[in-house]
Amino acid sequence: MANELNIRCIMNKDALPVTGAEQAVYALVDIKAGGKKAFGAMPANFGLVLDRSGSMDGEKMNNLKEAVGYVVDHLGDGDLVSVTIFDDQVETLIPNQPAKNREAIKAALAKVIPRGGTQISDGLRAGLAEVKKGHSPERVNRVLLLTDGQTWDDEDACLRLAEEAGKQGVAITSIGIGEEWNEKLLLQIAEKSLGNSHWIQNPIAILDAFRQEVEGMQSVAASNLKVTARMSQGVKPVRVFSTIPMISDVSRKAVRGVNVIADLGTLDGKKGQAVLIEATAPAQKAGKFRLGQVEITYDVPSQNIRGQSIKTDMFVTFTADAAVAAKVNAEVMNLVEKVSAFKLQTRALSEAEAGNIAAATQKLQAAATVLLNLGEDDLAKAAEREILTLKKTGTLSAAGTKKLEYGTRKLTQALTEAMK
Amino acid sequence: MKCKECDMENIDGALFCEECGAKLDMMEPLQDTAVETGNGSQLVLTSRDGSKLDIPAKDEVVIGRDDPVSEVFPDLDLTDLGGMDSGVSRKHAIIHRTGAEYTIEDLESTNGTYVNKKRIQPHVPQAIKAGDELRFGKLALAVQAA
Repeated sequence: MANELNIRCIMNKDALPVTGAEQAVYALVDIKAGGKKAFGAMPANFGLVLDRSGSMDGEKMNNLKEAVGYVVDHLGDGDLVSVTIFDDQVETLIPNQPAKNREAIKAALAKVIPRGGTQISDGLRAGLAEVKKGHSPERVNRVLLLTDGQTWDDEDACLRLAEEAGKQGVAITSIGIGEEWNEKLLLQIAEKSLGNSHWIQNPIAILDAFRQEVEGMQSVAASNLKVTARMSQGVKPVRVFSTIPMISDVSRKAVRGVNVIADLGTLDGKKGQAVLIEATAPAQKAGKFRLGQVEITYDVPSQNIRGQSIKTDMFVTFTADAAVAAKVNAEVMNLVEKVSAFKLQTRALSEAEAGNIAAATQKLQAAATVLLNLGEDDLAKAAEREILTLKKTGTLSAAGTKKLEYGTRKLTQALTEAMK
Repeated sequence: MKCKECDMENIDGALFCEECGAKLDMMEPLQDTAVETGNGSQLVLTSRDGSKLDIPAKDEVVIGRDDPVSEVFPDLDLTDLGGMDSGVSRKHAIIHRTGAEYTIEDLESTNGTYVNKKRIQPHVPQAIKAGDELRFGKLALAVQAA
């Protein structure tokens, strides 16, 4: 029977050397929508939570209005939409309703005038309440949060809301415009809710981000996606990373003793999902060894499929032949290298934040080298610029931090060739 | 397994150093694996996992990505090495061979051709030899003597 999803489990090496000691292994669990099985697109339940603080005035607000217009024009009549705007006060501009009232929605938005400060949690809470009204497992339930400013001392409330949203299957895509917002908060909101995050430097790019979001919702192939890896005796999972739409360290939640259980939310049918499991394998004699079993479970509500499961085993061969054991899988190695750049960047930033200039510099230098090896010249240069900034000022620049935070997380995005 | 770059002790089998990100496995960096070529010898391209791609014995070898839709079939197809995700254009670059001399020319590729980490200008051929590193978009290949 053809499955709705395909799963591939690839090890960094088919053969490990017999060393008599514990050693590291890496498993890439790659999940893609099944090619031939057609998916009925899931209708959306989309909540826009938009910052209308005073600093949004001008080009940002004009581009935002245009982007919301694009969203309502491209949602289907059966999709639900709501628009919540916030500064230090909240207004539910468009309560949850079918997206077919396009002109009325645009007209309401046209009247919005930027004012006031930024209080994200109130806006998020009200926006999530609107999405809740139309919430259904049959729909892609999603919130898009856009801001250009620092929120007023309510970061914890934002994170609690994001966590709760994630549990209810509502992913939050957070978007920051310009440089004066808290990337750590926006990234955490996305990660906790199993969503995505973008940094927009130029307001003209707002439309593109909204377009991507609509297309992403329309290509959801499965929901409630979960990866479970049950390890054989002696195999210990160490860290787990999800990599689509961005690299995210999910170890804290996913590593549960000797098993891995990672909730991944929805599966984008075009992009798929790839999870990297870092583990240690116990010393073994030569021969085939089963590291464990990987199971993915998912729903395809449009086909009335719930809790569907696919299993595959993770095998390696232990060998005394050094030449055979030296062969590394290029695809897994490439992903591990990207995750390594992400880890170094993360550590560099936390060292810098703690005021450990020497350690931060060293990690940034290491990140720059890895990024150069990956062919990421721009990001490598950004890391080198931050080393100089750190030397001069003792802190990192707002733009440089954002470039590194977002750039290394999105190393897994495919480069697409521009059509000529 | 001790990292040669920073002396940090890593668990056996780790691919990259936890401390400094340096590659730990037995594989050497691309540039170091190359051997000097003699006059007239054939060159091959080697990917980071050790796969070898022969450069066909022709005066002009187009490198890119097969695309049956637009009917583009370059002499050297990088699809199997992850060319699509790495941003390799359908007609990305061309290698010219004159006797024992090789040059590479970028064919206005979207994501660029690099020789030893430097992006080359489109349509300006640049000499290459064994020991060089080529990059097509983000796909790196080492030039080696056959």
